[in-house]
Amino acid sequence: MNYIDNLIAFIANLDGLKIIRFFWFFFFFELIRFFLVDLIILIFWKINRKRREKKMAKARNQLFHENPLISIIVPGRNEGKNLFQLATSLHEQTYQNFELIIIDDGSDDDTKIICQSLLNQGLIKQYLRNDVRGGKASAANLGFRYSKGKFIVHIDADCSFDRDAIENILVPFYIDAKIGAVGGNVQVRNYNESLCTTLQSIEYYDNISIGRIALSQLGIYRQISGAFGAFKREVLISVGAWDIGPGLDGDITVKVRKLKYKIHFEPTAVCQTRVPNTFTKLVKQRLRWDKSLVRFRLRKHKDVFFPTASFNWSNFISFVENITFNLVLNFKWYFYILDIFISFSGLIRFIIPINLFIYTVYNYIKYILFSLFRERRNQPVVYFLPYMPLMVFYFGYFLRIVRTVAYLQEFFLRKSYEDEWNPAKSSRHAKAMRI
Amino acid sequence: MVIIGNRIKSDNLDFVILDDNWGNKFDTIAAADAVIIDARNPDFAAYLMRRIRTSPQVELSFKPVFLINYSSTNDPIVSNLNDGILVAYDQLGDAVSITKSIKAKWTNLQNQSLPTYESQAFKRVLDYMYLRGSRTLKPHIDTRSIIGYTYPELLVSVDREEEFQSLELLEWAEKEGYIWPDFFDRVYLCNNCSSGFLSYREVCPHCDSSNSKSQDLVHHFPCAYVGPISDFQNEFDSALVCPKCNKGLRHIGVDYDKPSTINHCNNCDKDYQDVFIKAKCINCHVDVDVQYLKSKDLNVYKLTKKGRAASTNGLSVSDFEMEEIFGSLSFPMMKTMLHYEIERIRVNPAQQTSIAMIYFENIWELLNKVGKKGEKGLLESIVSATRENIKPTDFIALENNATLYLCLVNSNVTEANTIVTEVNRVIASLIKTNFNGFDIKVSSKAKALETNNNSAFYLKQLSDSVMLV
Repeated sequence: MNYIDNLIAFIANLDGLKIIRFFWFFFFFELIRFFLVDLIILIFWKINRKRREKKMAKARNQLFHENPLISIIVPGRNEGKNLFQLATSLHEQTYQNFELIIIDDGSDDDTKIICQSLLNQGLIKQYLRNDVRGGKASAANLGFRYSKGKFIVHIDADCSFDRDAIENILVPFYIDAKIGAVGGNVQVRNYNESLCTTLQSIEYYDNISIGRIALSQLGIYRQISGAFGAFKREVLISVGAWDIGPGLDGDITVKVRKLKYKIHFEPTAVCQTRVPNTFTKLVKQRLRWDKSLVRFRLRKHKDVFFPTASFNWSNFISFVENITFNLVLNFKWYFYILDIFISFSGLIRFIIPINLFIYTVYNYIKYILFSLFRERRNQPVVYFLPYMPLMVFYFGYFLRIVRTVAYLQEFFLRKSYEDEWNPAKSSRHAKAMRI
Repeated sequence: MVIIGNRIKSDNLDFVILDDNWGNKFDTIAAADAVIIDARNPDFAAYLMRRIRTSPQVELSFKPVFLINYSSTNDPIVSNLNDGILVAYDQLGDAVSITKSIKAKWTNLQNQSLPTYESQAFKRVLDYMYLRGSRTLKPHIDTRSIIGYTYPELLVSVDREEEFQSLELLEWAEKEGYIWPDFFDRVYLCNNCSSGFLSYREVCPHCDSSNSKSQDLVHHFPCAYVGPISDFQNEFDSALVCPKCNKGLRHIGVDYDKPSTINHCNNCDKDYQDVFIKAKCINCHVDVDVQYLKSKDLNVYKLTKKGRAASTNGLSVSDFEMEEIFGSLSFPMMKTMLHYEIERIRVNPAQQTSIAMIYFENIWELLNKVGKKGEKGLLESIVSATRENIKPTDFIALENNATLYLCLVNSNVTEANTIVTEVNRVIASLIKTNFNGFDIKVSSKAKALETNNNSAFYLKQLSDSVMLV
């Protein structure tokens, strides 16, 4: 009782300045960038909806009038079990003039037999196989080499698609000729499989379905997900297609941006994917993803920060925003924690619970408010509400710590070059060439 | 030993010598005890050997044949179906004893009326082997055989152009327990014509064309480019340069590898990795997926005890059942019906019914031509032609494919003979018209059905009177 009384007394004594002082990290960074900015953009985006839909309708007509062949390439290793569902989902598409190319990167499961069966059934157009594993980039490049489509859609084998997903990811190319690549809206299919997948589902909704609308509207959208992205053929030729990963999807997006093409996020092009169902697998995946920020943003593409001939403000801002909010603020959070511990060590027992409470309320408001902007009305919303309090720990602590470890590993040990995700024979060269 | 013209007389045996100028004198061959073929002309020797061994007359087909002036040949018919090689006309050597042995054994052969094509054909093979003391049937590579192999001894029964029937005949004989198999080789045959002359080709899975170019795929590690090796080649030198990053490829396994191969079809312009293997039949030109080829095991067969005894003791056909032929009764049913008919006549003595037997003496020659597949059709035609010339109340049955019984209800023996003569004429005409003028030899007999004996008695009487003539 004594603690509760003291907590109430502490809250009663809080004034505006104190609130800012105790919770400056939330108010100055998180609230402004991830709530206010996103909300303003979403409101504008909503206001423009009619105009946008009109443009899209016209572009859609153009697309179907021209009816170009598109190539859907699916690089993967040991993905045999996912391919039938993938092929079936694609054959339900409203846009049908596509060639489906499966690239088997040295699988040792039943991928070959399954693909031959799918070929015989006419569900896939081409099955290409590297008997020796070469990595995802090489598999994607092989698929691209033998593709014939005007647009290349890169997808992951464990994805399935809304019936109009392919159509919708192509439409933006007919709205603006300067668009070089379009990213799809990746959602979580196995959201109710475990706590881990549920939390990721909320994260995907926040970061991808909503967050990328904002980034795209600001012109700083910087990562077309490998799970679902479309490219113009000539753009891929110009950038030399994919380079060695991990993080090749972010890398290719930057390469396309450097050629001054626009990158567009299309929220109506919905794809569902499976996410890791245990926290161990999730840590492994995120360590790989987060290392790529250091490797590609700070090393390979550091020229974006310098006034070279190819300098471009939107790229510069995109990178600065990315590094500020992911890398700098990540470390700044530790500074905030240290600041609070040193300056208000006696009040920690009040500040932390209030901080958690603020973040929980913030998450609920943001989630419910942003749900009004969601594209798919049939998405489960209520299901996730009980899990919101956990997002503070998931996003604020768990992912932040994983991110920190990844950044430190990459900064000091260049660990991404040792990642088994990519074969050592390729990583060795990437490391030597510092790419 | 006396040599007169083209004949040699020795030990009361008459050897006839045949060379290029033999002039189709089959009568001469039939009359002689043995034949000596002058094999200076190998083509002639092969031709004549075939003519003799494939003759429908066993007197010719089983005749001892010796070769003189013979040099080794890769024709398995000539090398395996001769009874000996002579070095000179005046040194007949073993030829005399071999001929005597064959002649002596010939008298032991059991003449049998057999119910099926297989039994008739294989009995003849067994007889041929018995006469020569041979116990093994071995396949020999033979480019003149449609399946690429031949069992020479089977030539006495199986038309060479229908060599695939040899395998079916051997399967039958194995199933019946006359021979015992020992695996020798496996052949794949066209599923349309059973030819073994197949051209295997890798073809495009999209258009079946074999007009394609195969290339290695090359993976350049530093930039992850993967493409066919032609992407890395240039017109001027043998250097390999990556088209994506312009770096030269230096060392396989270090900066590049070849993870796979790819084929480009010059016909439909498509790329593919997994080729289809197709087999084009040289005989009928059908293109067959290899998975659909007929697979047949070729065995070396040894005669079993049953097989060795079959020539002298006869072929056991107890488990034989005639296939159901529309318009005819099964033979056991015929016996039952005859029993009722005898009882009917007993009750109505004024009624007269006759039974008749028609035996097709050389039908096996015809069955040899049409094979197993044509056997049923041929018998159906015979039954149908017979039915058209009898009353609807009459009934008929096939005991086997050479023997037809008719029960002519309310017909006396004179009427029965008239009907049977007409049936014989119609069947002979039918076969002559449909089988290139083939003359079927028919024996027949009609007899009035009486009431003082059972049906089996009358059937045996008829059989004896036809077969023992």
